[in-house]
Amino acid sequence: MKPFMALRRCPSLSCHRAVAPLLLDFLAPSALRHRQYHATPSYQSTETVEAPKPKYVLNKKQREFLDSALRVNQAGELAATLIYTAQTPQVVRSHPHLRPLMKHMYDQEQGHLTTFNQLIAKHLVRPTAMYPVWEAAATFLGWSTGAMGREAAMACTEAVETEIGSHYNEQVREILLWEAEAQNRGEELDDELKDMLATLRRIRDEELEHLDHAVENDSKEAQPYDPLVDVIRLGCRTAIKISERV
Amino acid sequence: MARPLLRPLRSSRNPIFSSCFSSSYQKPFLPTIASAISHQKTHLLPLPSLRSQHSNNTHRLYHSRHHPNLPPHEYTNSQTTILSAALKHVPVHGFTHDALTLGARDTGFLDVSIQLLPRGEFDLILFWLASRRGLLRAAVEQNGLLTKSHPEWVSVEEKTKTLIMERLRMNADIRHQWQDALALMSLPSHIPLSLSELHDLSSDILQLAGDTSVDASWYSKRLSVSAIYASAEIVMTRDSSPDLSATEAFVTRRIEDSKTIGEKITGAKQCLGFMGSTAVGLGRSWGLKV
Repeated sequence: MKPFMALRRCPSLSCHRAVAPLLLDFLAPSALRHRQYHATPSYQSTETVEAPKPKYVLNKKQREFLDSALRVNQAGELAATLIYTAQTPQVVRSHPHLRPLMKHMYDQEQGHLTTFNQLIAKHLVRPTAMYPVWEAAATFLGWSTGAMGREAAMACTEAVETEIGSHYNEQVREILLWEAEAQNRGEELDDELKDMLATLRRIRDEELEHLDHAVENDSKEAQPYDPLVDVIRLGCRTAIKISERV
Repeated sequence: MARPLLRPLRSSRNPIFSSCFSSSYQKPFLPTIASAISHQKTHLLPLPSLRSQHSNNTHRLYHSRHHPNLPPHEYTNSQTTILSAALKHVPVHGFTHDALTLGARDTGFLDVSIQLLPRGEFDLILFWLASRRGLLRAAVEQNGLLTKSHPEWVSVEEKTKTLIMERLRMNADIRHQWQDALALMSLPSHIPLSLSELHDLSSDILQLAGDTSVDASWYSKRLSVSAIYASAEIVMTRDSSPDLSATEAFVTRRIEDSKTIGEKITGAKQCLGFMGSTAVGLGRSWGLKV
């Protein structure tokens, strides 16, 4: 029986080869596709579904980027929680209807800070050396804008969230670039990076949501609007630049 | 015994060469020297990629289990071969050119190939520090140093102490030579690299001990571990007690001290914070807009 089966298989194999020359299989992608068409279904499924892609390995520059990015993000979220902590009593005192909104924004920032604290500890990233300075600066910023009234507090939120949102956006764009490069090479990002990308996107959207809340609550009517927002944005950018390094 | 043998070799060293190679950024001669000896250890020489020797950029960057850790040092294969053979001669010859030359001879290199190490004896010291740091990490991660003796609930301080003592014990065989090494490390041009190595060690110790501080205490903890380790090293050079018990007692006392100081600072901060918030609360209750 066995020799008979072998005999039967042989002509069928040679027949396949006649249709798709084996020689071309590894030379041209079109030939590969051609061959898949002729392959048995079981063979096809193992090749397309099971194949674990090799992981994309970060180079030194990319590691440096992640290092400074996580450091800046942690410092930023720390500052944000402190700003809201300092603003809330003063804003809520004259506008009690803002209490749920302030609490909601504070809770989200607190969640972000916890996320980045965990990421920093997990990836052994050095926290910024300016930690105490940012603590003091953020508390002062929150307190002073809170004292200037609801509009100024909201303008502060608007300025800070604009900067932070665009900063997160840059990070998401960078990681997406890596992802595209990995796909070109036939690799994929590891799970941690995928998670981080998802986290960064979520947090960016939440920060931009705070921006919308601030504009809804008359941030544009703060007096004097332009100098206040410009100064805060400049301060944010400087703080980001410093935290990237130290 | 080997000393008189080695004398002429040292005196015959070209003064121009030695002055060139003592500075850390002079490497133009290295490729020619390396290719001259490459017929001996071809399999060990990754030519012509003579990377920088132990650059101080070994600070760990973004770390992830998906991406391999950087090695504890950046010496090339041939340098590593010479240096690790030279370490066997350190207990007798100290951190000297003699140890390096003997190490080169042991591994079949020409005597002149110690020119591969532009910093000479200091390279030997750096290699000692970096490789011991790697061994400490291996002892914890592969041999389960902490899990064997310490159940999970032991505090970070206890683990830190175990790790510091483990690292100090690695120095036990060479402690009579260590003061010379310390003297060499404290030369002004060597201080940056020595400090960066000390920082890497304290950072490794705290990380292995499971410290997860993410605020300013990240810095203060590394500072205190560095200070404890560096002072214990000096104490150890004069310690003649069996099994380094005097050094261990010293380390225990220093850790207690730093704990006490830390508690005092935390207490003072809390006290100031309470006073501040009380003042603000009082002001608000009086109707001030603060």
